Amino acid sequence: MDERIILRNTDDPLNASIAGYMAHGGYKALEQAVGELTPRDIIDEIKSSGLRGRGGAGFPTGMKWQFASLDPKFPKYLVCNADEGEPGTFKDRPILEHNPHLLIEGMIISAYALQSTRGYIYLRGEYPHAKRVLERAIEEALASGYLGNDILSKHFRFNLTVHSGAGAYICGEETALLDSLEGRRGLPRLKPPFPVNSGLWGKPTIVNNVETFANIPYIVSQGAKAYASIGVKDCPGPKLFSVSGRVNKPGVYELPMGISLREIIYTHCGGIKGGGSLKGVIPGGISTPIIAPENIDCPMDFVHLPKYGSMLGSGAVMVFDDTVCIVRVYERAMKFFEHESCGKCTPCREGTAWMRAILGRIERGDASERDLETLQDVAENVTGKTFCPLGDGAAGVLLAAMKTYREEFEYHIKNKRCKVQ
Amino acid sequence: MPQVTTERLKILRGKIYELMELYPSYQAALLPSFFVAEEIFGFISPEAIGEISNVTGVPAAEIRGVASFYAMYKTKPMGRHIIQLCTNVSCMIEGAYDLVEYLKEKYGLTPGGTTPDGRFSLVIMECIGACGTAPAMILDTDSYENLTKDRLDTLLESYK
Amino acid sequence: MIKITIDGIEVQTDREITILEAAKQVGIEIPTLCTFKNLSPSGSCRMCLVEIERLSRPQTACTVKITDGMVVRTNSEAIMRARKAVLEFLLINHPLDCPVCDKAGECILQDLSAKYGAAAGRFKEGKRTNPVSFEDPVIVRDMQRCILCTRCVRTCDDLQGAFAISVINRGSHSLIEPFSGGRFDCEYCGNCLSACPVGAITSKLHRHTYRPWYIERQVETICGHCGVGCTLTLQMRENTIIRVIPDFEKGLNSGMLCVMGRFGYDYTEHEERLRSPLIRKDGELVPVSWEEAVEFTAWRLKELVKKYGGGAVAGIASGRCTNEDNYMLQKLIRYVLGSNNIDSAARLFYRPAVSYLERMFGQGITANLIPGIANSDGVFVAGGDPTTINPVLGIAVRSVWKKGGKVFVVGKSGGLRSNIKHELNHAEGAGALVLTWILAKVYEKKNFISENSIIDKKLSALKVPDMDMLVRVGVSPEALQYTADELVRLKNPVVIIGPETVLYGNGSKNLFLLGALNYVLNGRLFVLMDEPNTQGCLDMGCSPGVLVGGRPVELETFGHKMENTAGMKTPEGTGLNLFEMINGANSGSIKAMFVMGENPVFNIPDKKKVESALQKLEFLAVSDIFLTETASLADVVFPASAWSEKDGTYTNLERRLQRLRKGTMSSRGRADWKILADICKALGMKESYTDVKSVWDEISRISSVHSGVRYESLIGRGGIWPYGGEPLRGIEGDFEVEGLEDMPELPGFAQSGRVILKEDKSLIHSSSLSRYSPALMGVASEPLLMINPVTAQSLGLSDNERVVITSDKGTAVAILRADRGMPEGVAALSNTFKDNGFRSIVGYTIDPTLKSLNITDRVVTIERAKQL
Ligand SMILES: Cc1cc2nc3c(=O)[nH]c(=O)nc-3n(C[C@H](O)[C@H](O)[C@H](O)COP(=O)(O)O)c2cc1C
Ligand code: SF4
Ligand code: FES
Repeated sequence: MDERIILRNTDDPLNASIAGYMAHGGYKALEQAVGELTPRDIIDEIKSSGLRGRGGAGFPTGMKWQFASLDPKFPKYLVCNADEGEPGTFKDRPILEHNPHLLIEGMIISAYALQSTRGYIYLRGEYPHAKRVLERAIEEALASGYLGNDILSKHFRFNLTVHSGAGAYICGEETALLDSLEGRRGLPRLKPPFPVNSGLWGKPTIVNNVETFANIPYIVSQGAKAYASIGVKDCPGPKLFSVSGRVNKPGVYELPMGISLREIIYTHCGGIKGGGSLKGVIPGGISTPIIAPENIDCPMDFVHLPKYGSMLGSGAVMVFDDTVCIVRVYERAMKFFEHESCGKCTPCREGTAWMRAILGRIERGDASERDLETLQDVAENVTGKTFCPLGDGAAGVLLAAMKTYREEFEYHIKNKRCKVQ
Repeated sequence: MPQVTTERLKILRGKIYELMELYPSYQAALLPSFFVAEEIFGFISPEAIGEISNVTGVPAAEIRGVASFYAMYKTKPMGRHIIQLCTNVSCMIEGAYDLVEYLKEKYGLTPGGTTPDGRFSLVIMECIGACGTAPAMILDTDSYENLTKDRLDTLLESYK
Repeated sequence: MIKITIDGIEVQTDREITILEAAKQVGIEIPTLCTFKNLSPSGSCRMCLVEIERLSRPQTACTVKITDGMVVRTNSEAIMRARKAVLEFLLINHPLDCPVCDKAGECILQDLSAKYGAAAGRFKEGKRTNPVSFEDPVIVRDMQRCILCTRCVRTCDDLQGAFAISVINRGSHSLIEPFSGGRFDCEYCGNCLSACPVGAITSKLHRHTYRPWYIERQVETICGHCGVGCTLTLQMRENTIIRVIPDFEKGLNSGMLCVMGRFGYDYTEHEERLRSPLIRKDGELVPVSWEEAVEFTAWRLKELVKKYGGGAVAGIASGRCTNEDNYMLQKLIRYVLGSNNIDSAARLFYRPAVSYLERMFGQGITANLIPGIANSDGVFVAGGDPTTINPVLGIAVRSVWKKGGKVFVVGKSGGLRSNIKHELNHAEGAGALVLTWILAKVYEKKNFISENSIIDKKLSALKVPDMDMLVRVGVSPEALQYTADELVRLKNPVVIIGPETVLYGNGSKNLFLLGALNYVLNGRLFVLMDEPNTQGCLDMGCSPGVLVGGRPVELETFGHKMENTAGMKTPEGTGLNLFEMINGANSGSIKAMFVMGENPVFNIPDKKKVESALQKLEFLAVSDIFLTETASLADVVFPASAWSEKDGTYTNLERRLQRLRKGTMSSRGRADWKILADICKALGMKESYTDVKSVWDEISRISSVHSGVRYESLIGRGGIWPYGGEPLRGIEGDFEVEGLEDMPELPGFAQSGRVILKEDKSLIHSSSLSRYSPALMGVASEPLLMINPVTAQSLGLSDNERVVITSDKGTAVAILRADRGMPEGVAALSNTFKDNGFRSIVGYTIDPTLKSLNITDRVVTIERAKQL
């Protein structure tokens, strides 16, 4: 029996088809929801389950739904954030490729609860295979009467379209995603108004991550209580961790919230590759601050990680051992942020480019002590002053790395070469 | 490179009309239309921009602004096959930049460039969601992971 | 009531404003870059960061709305550091080329850097390089200097509605593109230029020729190009205009201008300006003194009146001259020389249209406010493109669409193309057919009960075409149905009427249909007006049948009023209209003519006929600023002062009275009113005038609608109709609609190989005047023949070819331009360029009902021009 909830049955190649999915009991939760529950019941259930969004910010999902359902405007749009752009993150991909009907079922239940008739899956352009899988799954669901204009003969209407992104990390940010879905440049919008009140085409819009939706069928079928018993208080449920870098068994793991970083690395991922020693771990994708080896007992959830100066983010664990140069990592990371900055606000647009340039010189051994000071100062000038969290994150993670690994930066400057090579 | 013909523009137009059905605003059909234009013409040609503008009513300047925002769109002609190689942190520490070097040495391919025979273009990607099986690339529309130089050679062999 | 504290100062307000606005109220200045008048806040430059108590991060004052109890700090150390940081970020890639930058001295980045910036830079990396472009005729772009505040893009999209520019690329590679480039819809309004806070977008006209501190004087005046009457500021040094800028606080245009207004001022300094009065001696026009010209004119006029009677004299007034000029001309013609023969080019369209509508509904029916259009929920346009004839009115129409309202255009949609849902473009001549169907449907759906039995009876008499007929003239049933359905729903509609409703036949019927549609919809009417003072020209009595104040001659009380107040006796009869004057000259009944600021030879069709008529006159006097086609036939030519050299008043199409102010004096011309007053005086007139105000004072004493309007009070937004007196409502009696009960005929299609020619109004040019503007000629230097691409193809012609257009009346040469907006079988040519004007190669008849221009002989052949 598969203990997993989200990645349940993903070893079965047939699970991606509706027949396979139904053979494992799929779409039961939807029938139950539509047959026995009112939209209100479902929202209450999600609220009491304590489910937090899995996209990075950990916002309580039930609360978001309630805001949207209280807004009197119609139509309401339901959007699945499948942009998964955060470097290090590949946790939504197994759902999209191997368990597409779980996502679709989760979205249909959500649509029913939110009285939404139109949904879009904003899928990152870098997942062409997932696009094919999802489109086929949607067709199957339509043919089986789970999608369409009269779902389960209950006069409930919901249609779903896959919308491909085209290589813009910022479009993972929900308001930029909405602009992008509307066919514009993906620039973050001013908040308020929030998407729940004024999202796609000015209508109430609920944006949730793939993994968030994938939790819904379980909560509906097994109840909020059963769900809340998994993981930790204030942050319950199973969580997908995508582990990459210098571990023996990288991959996506479904584990309860609150599990320690140490357990993930050593128990589940088979420890450090090549037997080297651990140098640091990024716990939630490149935009979350790095954690030093002495802190790897931290519980991995939205509540505890901030106490260790970091964040759960997308749960993308990136493991570095002593063969990895931290300066090089952050130079590359800053290149990413520069490339992905949307260009709307000054500090991020100019700051990321500037920081990348200084980091490049440090990495090449072409910098002075003064440059390190300037870098620190520029990063501080960006922090807290950008329009959206992208630029803020870029500066924040650099500052954290410079604090913990300062000698490595200094080594580059003094010796004009890397410490590890 | 497929030529721009009225026939092909007509196909594009038909597809755009279909796409416009999927959204409450015509402009929302832009991003998917660009993919269709690439499929038909190999890149988003000026003629395609004109046609998309005519059908959706979105001004050409805006269309250019939108298309140029997204890294994956091809706004100039490219090789027959496109190697989209990830070099982000997880791929980098597993040797992605060695592969970049290798492509340059062996195939004369530089980032953003095309081989002289027009067979391959190389695009450096940010994370493509294959960090657990790094280094990785997308070749046209297929993903390949755990790359090595040898594997790269064999793979490229099979793309004519 | 919301109460907040900013830097310890309490601010109270009952409106939900932003912190920025609240701070401004108490005089606290928060620096901004991306915020700009009339644009919604963007929050992107991050210059305006402030601290709010209990919030951990600084917030942008431009976007955050105040809430009760908020405590804000704008001057803490952290905020000063943040400002310095933003400026440093902006400067790292900004060239430090202030000494050669046209913006220096009025650059916000420069000013803020001086105030909050760091003393020295720390940026060691190479600066990003972005393109500098001189491609555009009037605009220079240096994207190296751009700070990406996007004020220009937002202005172009949200206010101008042209969508010609966009940010391309992203992140630190973002730049603003592309303005021109042919396929993009830049209208060269230059409004982006006012929006740019730095030197990234500047005017090419005065590039490197000035610094803001060179400007010695500036004067607020009214644009002289079209009937909107935008307020603008002339900035001058010595005797030349350095530039024209809009004023965001004054005028109906709220800081917006069009290409003509912003760039087309330079014709006033053209070297071909007339410099001295001329008299024809031995067949040649030779310079003479002012005294000689005035005396000679007075003598000739007196002589001819004595010989042939007052009725042998005629005057042509001008919509480009001020009210005072026009008043003085009618004073000369009517009261000094005793002739009622006075008319103007308003005769061609504007006057008949407005009078007809006034006949239906009463005086002032078209006097509605342009800014009010933006509050409407739907606009119906027929007969012309407001975005080219009256551009700033056109952008008000676009703003209706922007706010979710509906726009309908019967005919070519032109500059409103992206604002309409369906085209209602029809085959040439089928306008009445389309309008009839729409009116009938709306009338039926609205279940309209009229209080006007005359209109009601006519509405019931209409014969409605069936859908089949409409399809045959190229209109889709879907478009028609949509139009009718949506029109009925409108709560606050606007109907805009352009010249084509009258110029190509069916005039009275089209006007009736549109007037009735507006009546049934309970909308507001606007009649497009291409010259700045056509309305004023009518108000001054420069039209047969109309006295000063726009009151009809047939109401005797007004004739008496003239006599009682001014001791002026109105001559008997109605007088001849413009066409009758031409005919009169031809037949010999008109012997003398005074033409003021008008060019009938070029502006009335059938050039040969008009020319030969004027040549038959015994005496022709012309006052103008250039030696036009007409002036070169004259016996006396007076050099007049141009728009920027004049004081006086204009009345725009809303009937807003506004003050024109003198800026430069680059010619030795004199104001028309002054020239005329001198002639009147030489002919024995008692009154003498010291300045333009004294002329206005007389007008306000005599004119029953302008009574009591003081010249000095016409500042700011001007005088708004009705001014003093009451307008006339409901003139008694029936009016005629030609062909009302006929089923409109299906238009005849031109035989193959021949094309129907129409007049094109280019956005860039204002009639033939702007051919003297180097700036506007730089944007559009050649006559273009706009033609449907399919038609062009069937003629074997392609884009950008030089073609010869031949009609029964003449030929013109133009560059062919394929335009999908033109219906098949139709081409359009402007009436701007010397020797190649539209009107010179067509003929005309007079509309029997409206007495307006009815352009004929429009069937032409188009051939490739022979290589030179
Ligand atoms: C720069 C940036 C990138 C983001 N990228 C993603 C992403 O790729 N996928 C995602 O689900 N959420 C992403 N988010 C979070 C979304 O804005 C949003 O919070 C999330 O989609 C909400 O879904 P949830 O409540 O289910 O987590 C991103 C946020 C930021 C600021
Ligand atoms: S921080 Fe600013 S520039 Fe960066 S992505 Fe967000 S809005 Fe765009
Ligand atoms: S003025 Fe507030 S962010 Fe630019």
